[in-house]
Amino acid sequence: MLTQTEMAILNNILDQLIPANKKRDLPSAGKLEIAAFIVQRASKNPVLKKDIASIVLYAQSKADKVSPNFVRQLQDNKPSEFESLLIETYKGYYSRPDIREKLGLSAHAVHPQGYDVKKESEELLDALTEPVRQRGPIFLDPTGGKKDGA
Amino acid sequence: MEHEPVDVLIIGAGASGAAIAWSLLETRMRILCLEQGGHLTDAEYPSRKEDYELSRYAEFSCDPNVRGLKQDYPINSENSCITPVNWNGVGGSTINFLAHWPRMRPSDFRTKTLDGVGEDWPINYYNLEPFYEMNDLNIGVSGLPGNTAYPEYKISNPPIPIGILGQTLAKGFNNMGWHWWPSDVAILSRDQEGRQKCVNAGTCDLGCAAGAKGGTNFTYWPLLERAGVELRTNSRVREIQIDEATGLANGVLYHGEDGQVHRQRAEIVIMACNGVGTPRLLLHSSSNLFPEGLANRSGLVGKNLMFHPLTGVAGVFKEEMKGHEGPMACSILSQEFYESDPSRGFSRGYGLHSGRSTTPMTFALGGYGVDNPIPWGNEHLEIMDNIYPYLAGLTIVTEDLPEEHNCVTLDADLKDSDGIPAPKINYTLGENTKAMIKHGEERAREVLLAAGAEKVLAKNDDKVWWRAGWHQMGTCRMGNNPSNSVVNSWGRSHDVKNLFIVDGSIFVTAGAVNPTSTIQALALYVGDQIKNNIQTLFD
Repeated sequence: MLTQTEMAILNNILDQLIPANKKRDLPSAGKLEIAAFIVQRASKNPVLKKDIASIVLYAQSKADKVSPNFVRQLQDNKPSEFESLLIETYKGYYSRPDIREKLGLSAHAVHPQGYDVKKESEELLDALTEPVRQRGPIFLDPTGGKKDGA
Repeated sequence: MEHEPVDVLIIGAGASGAAIAWSLLETRMRILCLEQGGHLTDAEYPSRKEDYELSRYAEFSCDPNVRGLKQDYPINSENSCITPVNWNGVGGSTINFLAHWPRMRPSDFRTKTLDGVGEDWPINYYNLEPFYEMNDLNIGVSGLPGNTAYPEYKISNPPIPIGILGQTLAKGFNNMGWHWWPSDVAILSRDQEGRQKCVNAGTCDLGCAAGAKGGTNFTYWPLLERAGVELRTNSRVREIQIDEATGLANGVLYHGEDGQVHRQRAEIVIMACNGVGTPRLLLHSSSNLFPEGLANRSGLVGKNLMFHPLTGVAGVFKEEMKGHEGPMACSILSQEFYESDPSRGFSRGYGLHSGRSTTPMTFALGGYGVDNPIPWGNEHLEIMDNIYPYLAGLTIVTEDLPEEHNCVTLDADLKDSDGIPAPKINYTLGENTKAMIKHGEERAREVLLAAGAEKVLAKNDDKVWWRAGWHQMGTCRMGNNPSNSVVNSWGRSHDVKNLFIVDGSIFVTAGAVNPTSTIQALALYVGDQIKNNIQTLFD
């Protein structure tokens, strides 16, 4: 759907949307070539395909000058197309197991393993709920506890 | 095609359809359930796949308008600030519900008497109490006994972990001197009858592949099918038919898996299609006897639609809150502001539910049920680094009051894949609800700060969550007076003596709690009444 040059433009834009995060050792979205994910999704979604084509066309003259300012212009001038791109970028980037893992989640599918969450001890729950118990019932009962109550 | 008649025909295999089928098993009547969707196979659960989150925005979206699957019907929500969400298939919306399991409270059944709003129910909490208990045992409920917000009741499984997030918020509530309690959940904290205990996957909305969540596909249906209840899937009912001589329902026409229209006769018809699907089908089943829709002599079919409008406030804490671990909606629940207090400027009340931040993708896209991506660029990095991991939120779940102008009608143009008119939702937030939301946001802010939040994030607008239409209630309400209710005190239509409704549409008021435990208790109650009145059922 897109030429190599157009893919490069798209990845340059994606680098601005999700820049590299050195603190967590996370590459930028362009470096991960999330554009390929987006193009693949666009091949099954005519609206997205049109949005991406429109963005690439707009950005063509600025191929080597994709800066935050340029992306802001893009957002202002093509708001709905830009939002489509942003949504797909987030989907492509954060659905990667390697990225999830670096953010503290499991890379694997969540079933069957899930996450190991420590169960609170009875003592801890007792201590936490004690002030609530101390205050007593807080519900209103107009029936006086009866099936045939008012 | 004409099928052998059955004694009981249930429309819908979700929460209430399964529960009433179970209740009627002992009668040895021939029971058939028609369900417009199919069974989910284990491999179809997204949580078995590495890119599981993507399905949340596609074939496993809670929004049928996004999913657009063959078994789904479209919903026109252009005139609503909330769109209904659901699942169509065996299990119904218990497939993708979040399994929060609070009961309604005694005062919820008497809002007219207590507060002069809504209507009183023709039954009360204690009529339902044994059926709450019976259903809880069938479903497998986990929680901590002794909740001071309720009359005493038993819980069979210990609570699921409330986690660092729940513990942190609980301290905030304690500091404020406000009620909170570990949430009751229809989620197993220990293995039970072939179902695996919860593994804290955090994907309750994508179906629970482990069977830990009490969807009726794992609880009632395996047992019902073994006992001989026939479940006919991919079968969408298009109308309920009436014998004009007797005024009784005599069966349905439905679109079968083969694409043909079938006729199924039945002695008793039970509707379990939820608060949108049931009025849709009744309105579409008009006849000479019922020109305004079946069982609609009151004119109230489809009226008084109630949701639970939601909004959220989140706190940023020092410690990581692990918002992706554990059941999505269930950790702790505060009912401090549940009952009416005239000094607050609104009637009835709301709950403060702990909310998790879910996974990075869902968070980046605006959060669960919200379409509003977070900023890009350096601001994005800042949010993902310094806010997302440290978030603990509170969801304000408000009681919605019945108002006739909030309603389900039939859309003039939009149709499902079988040509049946789609439901159209007309819904606006009442002033009472708006005041409640504002009050709830302020209290949530206070308690988050009391829990140690360094910063509180709120939307600062009066919008509620768009995809908050889980709880669809009130559109065929029960009552003793046929002029202001659709069904009687045990779910039987005032107008058609062998037609019953058991889903959320028969709620008179909404309470401010997730309704599924009450929907199922009510279905068991109606089943019990049918059995008790079997000799004079159609009188």
